[in-house]
Amino acid sequence: MRPILLQGHERAITQIKYNRDGDLLFTVAKDPVVNVWYSVNGERLGTYNGHTGAVWCVDVDWDNRHVLSGSADNSCRLFDCETGKQLALLETNSAVRTCGFDFGGNIIMFSTDKQMGYQCFVSFIDLRDPTQIEDNEPYMKIPCNESKITSAVWGPLGENVITGHENGELNLYSAKSGEIVNTMKEHSKQINDIQSSRDMTMFITASKDCTAKIFDTTSLEHQKTFRTERPVNSAALSPIYDHVVLGGGQEAMDVTTTSTRIGKFEARFFHVAVEEEFGRVKGHFGPINSLAFHPDGKSYSSGGEDGYVRIHYFDQQYFDFEPEF
Amino acid sequence: MPTGDYDSKPSWADQVEEETDDVEPLPPPPIPIPIPVPKVDHSNIVLDTPREVINGNIKTITEYKLDEDDKKIKIIRTFKIENRKASKVVARRKNWKKFGNSEYDQPGPNVATTTVSDDVLMTFITSKEDLNCQEEEDPMNKLKGQKIVSCRICKGDHWTTRCPYKDTLGPMQKELADQLGLSTADKERPPGTEPETAQAPVSKTGKYVPPSLRDGGRRQGESMQPNRRADDNATIRVTNLSEDTRETDLQELFRPFGSISRIYLAKDKTTGQSKGFAFISFHRREDAARAIAGVSGFGYDHLILNVEWAKPSTN
Repeated sequence: MRPILLQGHERAITQIKYNRDGDLLFTVAKDPVVNVWYSVNGERLGTYNGHTGAVWCVDVDWDNRHVLSGSADNSCRLFDCETGKQLALLETNSAVRTCGFDFGGNIIMFSTDKQMGYQCFVSFIDLRDPTQIEDNEPYMKIPCNESKITSAVWGPLGENVITGHENGELNLYSAKSGEIVNTMKEHSKQINDIQSSRDMTMFITASKDCTAKIFDTTSLEHQKTFRTERPVNSAALSPIYDHVVLGGGQEAMDVTTTSTRIGKFEARFFHVAVEEEFGRVKGHFGPINSLAFHPDGKSYSSGGEDGYVRIHYFDQQYFDFEPEF
Repeated sequence: MPTGDYDSKPSWADQVEEETDDVEPLPPPPIPIPIPVPKVDHSNIVLDTPREVINGNIKTITEYKLDEDDKKIKIIRTFKIENRKASKVVARRKNWKKFGNSEYDQPGPNVATTTVSDDVLMTFITSKEDLNCQEEEDPMNKLKGQKIVSCRICKGDHWTTRCPYKDTLGPMQKELADQLGLSTADKERPPGTEPETAQAPVSKTGKYVPPSLRDGGRRQGESMQPNRRADDNATIRVTNLSEDTRETDLQELFRPFGSISRIYLAKDKTTGQSKGFAFISFHRREDAARAIAGVSGFGYDHLILNVEWAKPSTN
């Protein structure tokens, strides 16, 4: 395969995300622009400008009306997806680490860092109520006393939010009452990424403890574990096969002190049932920070510490491949 | 002579460049030239306007620009136009106007932000290869099958202390050995070493006995020096080994010639791969001599091994 190389960022990629249909690819990095690309040919549709710091997270609602991004400039911004116009600016006390739309696109969730004397909060805003945005007054703000949130996604039907914490804990917060419905600690270190399956019945976590794990979305029951030798920064579930792809590698701060050969910057494909690796794709010069499968399962993209995003369309080989057990 | 035709023929490197970049010679300067200007003025050179030709489903864009040497360069980019069927919403989104930093981009990918990378292949790992990897990772597993550990009592594949016949066979053999004046293990031992030290762990209950309390410990002034020299005498040097050689391979190769006391395989510090030579010390010099005769010139892993006596080290 010949990957399409997207050079829209000047710094390390922090997150990439496809929209629900898979025709658009949103990328954010440790620079202030939010880029959106056509996934089919890598053409850049535009940029959402406004942030003044590193952007940690991006999300788009299911019908592609709004784009939400959270940044280290202590703000969360809402953009019009089609025109790139900024619709709302939600200022926070500390950097916004995670954000997301619920499946209806009406309620947004974002979490802020424990930083500068401020606690870690998960905030919920209903976009149908303009006063909440104007007054910057979330209808619910859950303080998170323990370890800070490093990753979060909405659970099925917008009922709850799954959060991954710095100490490896997983919590299920109710989006209605704000209570912790369920909690689980399977990882021993920071959870870098959470991505749910297309049908939202399960989700995969990527952790600094060198593993990625699959959990049930409601019971948080641990299902599968994928082990590597390096911290895992991102993991994604294939929508059509029982495959997962893991990306990571040595931590960026250690890269210069060791040889590139042992960096293990490949994207690694594992079979879900047997938890075994069956394939690797090379390409990035640094650790992979974010991975995403195209919703049709025929391509995937990766964004790395090297600042590049690569769109890979699988060869026929991948579809023909049957692992031996 | 190369000097003669050097000027007339361009070198091969230039030819390649011409093929790829289509370097065109500078056009004659535009007509109004009042005085020859010493500095090259870019505005004097008229660049052709970019052309876009669509032929079937192939779009060709031809651009002209100047490189650092003020040579005109023609850049031809070829795109394939594909028509794809997509759902209505996706198709509608494809017609959205570009915005933000891409506002003034032409339709189609902008080469400043989108390029096609080099071909990469997915490396498939079959479970078979995976097994091999695991074996390499755990050399102990490999050793297990080779019966490296051999019980001195029953010759089984375990340590002497773990022998199931330790309490029955062991004492019996010991008695026999005492009667005959030599232990069973003595036969395999080279003449230079002391029988007591090796026998000690077997003695009595199989508990660990510190060397100072063993029978051999009473002997004073037994230094390692003479032994070491004896080793040197029975050491051979093997060269022209392949990179993938492991200690265990050498063990397999040389064990038939006699008991080996030490194998040293020179390895690269970072990669752990063999540097291509090794030293093998046998217990007996005769074994070493036979090994030289037997393995020298032996084809091993596509390479012909060279085996000779190791030169005694200088210090």
